[in-house]
Amino acid sequence: MNTAPIKKRYYFISALVIILGIILLFLPFNKNRNQLSAEKLLLSITNNDRFFSTDEVAKFIISGDPSYQLIDVRSEEEYAKFSLPGAINIPLSKILNKDKSGYYEWEGYLNQKVKTNIFYSNGSIYANQAWMLTKRLNYPNNYVMKGGLNEWVETILKPKQPEASASQSALNQYDFRIAASTYFGGGSNISADSSDKSNTKNNTTSAKKKKKKSADGGC
Amino acid sequence: MGPLITQGIISPEWNPMIAFIVGLGFGFALEQAGFSSSRKLIGIFYGYDMIVVRVFLTAVLTASVGLLFFNYLGWIDYDLVFVNPTFLWSAIIGGAFVGLGIIMSGFCPGTSFSALSIGKIDALAFIIGIGIGVFFYAETFELLFEKLYYAQNLGGIRIYETFGISPGLFMFLFILFGLGIFWFTIFIKKKYSNRNLKY
Repeated sequence: MNTAPIKKRYYFISALVIILGIILLFLPFNKNRNQLSAEKLLLSITNNDRFFSTDEVAKFIISGDPSYQLIDVRSEEEYAKFSLPGAINIPLSKILNKDKSGYYEWEGYLNQKVKTNIFYSNGSIYANQAWMLTKRLNYPNNYVMKGGLNEWVETILKPKQPEASASQSALNQYDFRIAASTYFGGGSNISADSSDKSNTKNNTTSAKKKKKKSADGGC
Repeated sequence: MGPLITQGIISPEWNPMIAFIVGLGFGFALEQAGFSSSRKLIGIFYGYDMIVVRVFLTAVLTASVGLLFFNYLGWIDYDLVFVNPTFLWSAIIGGAFVGLGIIMSGFCPGTSFSALSIGKIDALAFIIGIGIGVFFYAETFELLFEKLYYAQNLGGIRIYETFGISPGLFMFLFILFGLGIFWFTIFIKKKYSNRNLKY
């Protein structure tokens, strides 16, 4: 700083920064440029990639596949009354909750690459909404159980016998469903909403919050 | 395109590796700028050496001007950039304590490690002090600090949003402010240069 040439460089840099500042003053500021575009979102809503059928979900549960995580997006009361084995409860109204330090409370479960999350609710609507929120946040590996618990009751717990002329695959599917309904303690002649169904949820686990924090900065 | 890790272009597993490389560069830059000298760092508070202020201003201006141009070119998504949430009271009180620590020791946490790397014993003492402080804080967090820590959470706020002005305008004002400080410190330096302090 004591010599003149360095000073000259300072003048040059100052002028350059001011010019850049003036340019920035008139440049438009883009927001959300790289978020999921409307077209892409529409495309992923209209195609059915996000759905798992109730049969597939039943297979995951019976085989005890640890790479799948069922997530019940109904309210806590409904979850307490009945839920699928192994499901955790993240109510739809609380999915975007932030914890005390301002991070998404459930991010550890919803934004991860290890497990395949499957949302379910009574029908498809709330599970779809949960899926939409996570999709918009660009969280990977989230799916929806098609038809929800209503479909679950109709297909797995109380399967209808296909006609004798039905295809072999339909008959096989029926056999699987009969076996599954026995496994889930249903049996085709017991109504699904009877209270003794609640004993199927004895191995459900309540969700603990996992934290996924970005590193803090410092000097 | 960016942020590269959030967008999944670089997998998150690389995070520690990238941090390591950036950290090496950061430490090297600190050491080369002479920041491992506690006299140099303390100079701001006594007013005889403002190089630290200038270096930091240069870094901030370069990074922020660059980010805004990146945004214009579509290279970075501002909404995905992580903004540390502002906890008003812990920022004020914690900031005061860190400032006090810097005045007392002549190191900031980063420079103490670059000073240790060139073998300064006082930096070692400082780092042991940090360790004890961190341990005390972590062990008594729920007892003493939790309420204060979470008080007045303003979320991930940005200054231009708070003032309701465009980022470009804020940047322009900030550049003027930064250059003002920059030239002011050179002016101060001139006034004090006759003292000829040796490190």
